[in-house]
Amino acid sequence: MAAIGLLAAETGDREDLGLLLGELGHRAEAAGALGQLLEAARERRPRAFVVVDGGGADAEVLTRELTRAFPLLPVVAALKTRDARRAVALMRAGAAEVVAPPWTREDLKACVSKSLRSPGTVLSPLRLAPRRRSPLWYALAVGSFFAAALGTASLGRRVRLQAAAAARVDHWTLAVSHPAGLAFDGADLWVVDWFTQSFYRQSRQDARVLEVHHLTSETPVAAAFAADSLWTVAADGTIARRMRDAKLTALQRYPKAAPNSAGLAFDGLYLWTLDQSRRTLTKRLLDENLTTVSSRRLPGLKPVAIVWDGKALWTLDAGDRVLRRHDLEKPELALEVVPLPEYGDGLYAPTGLAWDGERFWTVAERRDGKGPGRLYRHAAEGAR
Amino acid sequence: MTRTASPVPVLLSFPQASARQDAWGRLARLTSGGAELSTAARLLKDEGVVLSFDLGVERFDGVRARVSHAQDDDDGFRVVELRFVDQVQRRRLARALTDVLARG
Repeated sequence: MAAIGLLAAETGDREDLGLLLGELGHRAEAAGALGQLLEAARERRPRAFVVVDGGGADAEVLTRELTRAFPLLPVVAALKTRDARRAVALMRAGAAEVVAPPWTREDLKACVSKSLRSPGTVLSPLRLAPRRRSPLWYALAVGSFFAAALGTASLGRRVRLQAAAAARVDHWTLAVSHPAGLAFDGADLWVVDWFTQSFYRQSRQDARVLEVHHLTSETPVAAAFAADSLWTVAADGTIARRMRDAKLTALQRYPKAAPNSAGLAFDGLYLWTLDQSRRTLTKRLLDENLTTVSSRRLPGLKPVAIVWDGKALWTLDAGDRVLRRHDLEKPELALEVVPLPEYGDGLYAPTGLAWDGERFWTVAERRDGKGPGRLYRHAAEGAR
Repeated sequence: MTRTASPVPVLLSFPQASARQDAWGRLARLTSGGAELSTAARLLKDEGVVLSFDLGVERFDGVRARVSHAQDDDDGFRVVELRFVDQVQRRRLARALTDVLARG
């Protein structure tokens, strides 16, 4: 409880303000004249003064006298008539705060409380940054933060989804109905179609046909790329080494060198052919006769295609719908079997196989022959 | 930057359209661009107000400002951030502040 010196000429004002100060927890030392108040103040050491302006008393004069006598004690002026200019004049005279009429407990409490810890004005020629920001500003800042975090998270999710989409098995409908083989030239896929006697160079991204090469006098069934040439095998078993020009000009032909061939692969040294009827895999030298080095019978039901992935030889089996990795020395041994669940519905029969460095690709034709063939990109996890 | 011994008293008046009585307050902070005002008057954000006050020996009347932020403090007073809207008044205020600060 703090003692407050109260100066009011009229008894009613002293009683009103005294009661209000008492309600606020202060002890009012009321006086009707300045001398009386000064005398009481010296004895009871109040923490502040409340001076009524009006009713025969000039608070401006009284404030000056009080601040002169007690320079460290704040003076609160209480107006009996609301007058802003008078209030400013009183503050200039030294009043810490001015209470407007009608006097209420809240107003008096605010003014006394404020006057007890009144600092000066901070002056600066520069415009200072605002000390306080509105709740809206904070809401926007928090919102921006979460928006940025959400954006980053959704971008990451999008990348993950794209990766997942790229990882899943996809398939595309071909422009042809009778694909017989598939090869990869280092950039694009080549679909061999026996019915149209053509090669279709297609994009790996969307299976779009980029180029068509038509062979007028042959029925190609399989192909494989070597360093600078394309090896093909026709339905009659003729193997050809071709330039990679617009006409796929044949540089060398080996008539009926590999009858019943369904697949062709080049491992960098030997040419491998797959005889679908006898289910044998034949290794050949690249001499003028494509001399046979070895010929081994393959496991499985119906091997239809072969591919060299840079390390091993793989065959595609249309009977039990699997890929098999073979021992190069003993191709009759399957070192690994990878199932192809994509062919589980039995609607398509795989016919060609390629490896693009990361995944296997296969082509297939409809078993009922009623519709175009299909190009499959197989899952990476099933590739090795 | 410096601080006066006691807060600068300020007379607050309002545009006639607002039909508000004049009020008063004290400047807790004063710069050439705006001020922070402590007052018992219930000022609201975006409200226009006209200030009159003394700064050193110079008198400023009719300084037009707009409330950019207002909130109640612990004592129940309104703490108001003002932005001065008149460029000429701001330049004059900047000169006066520089002069006051130069004098120490």
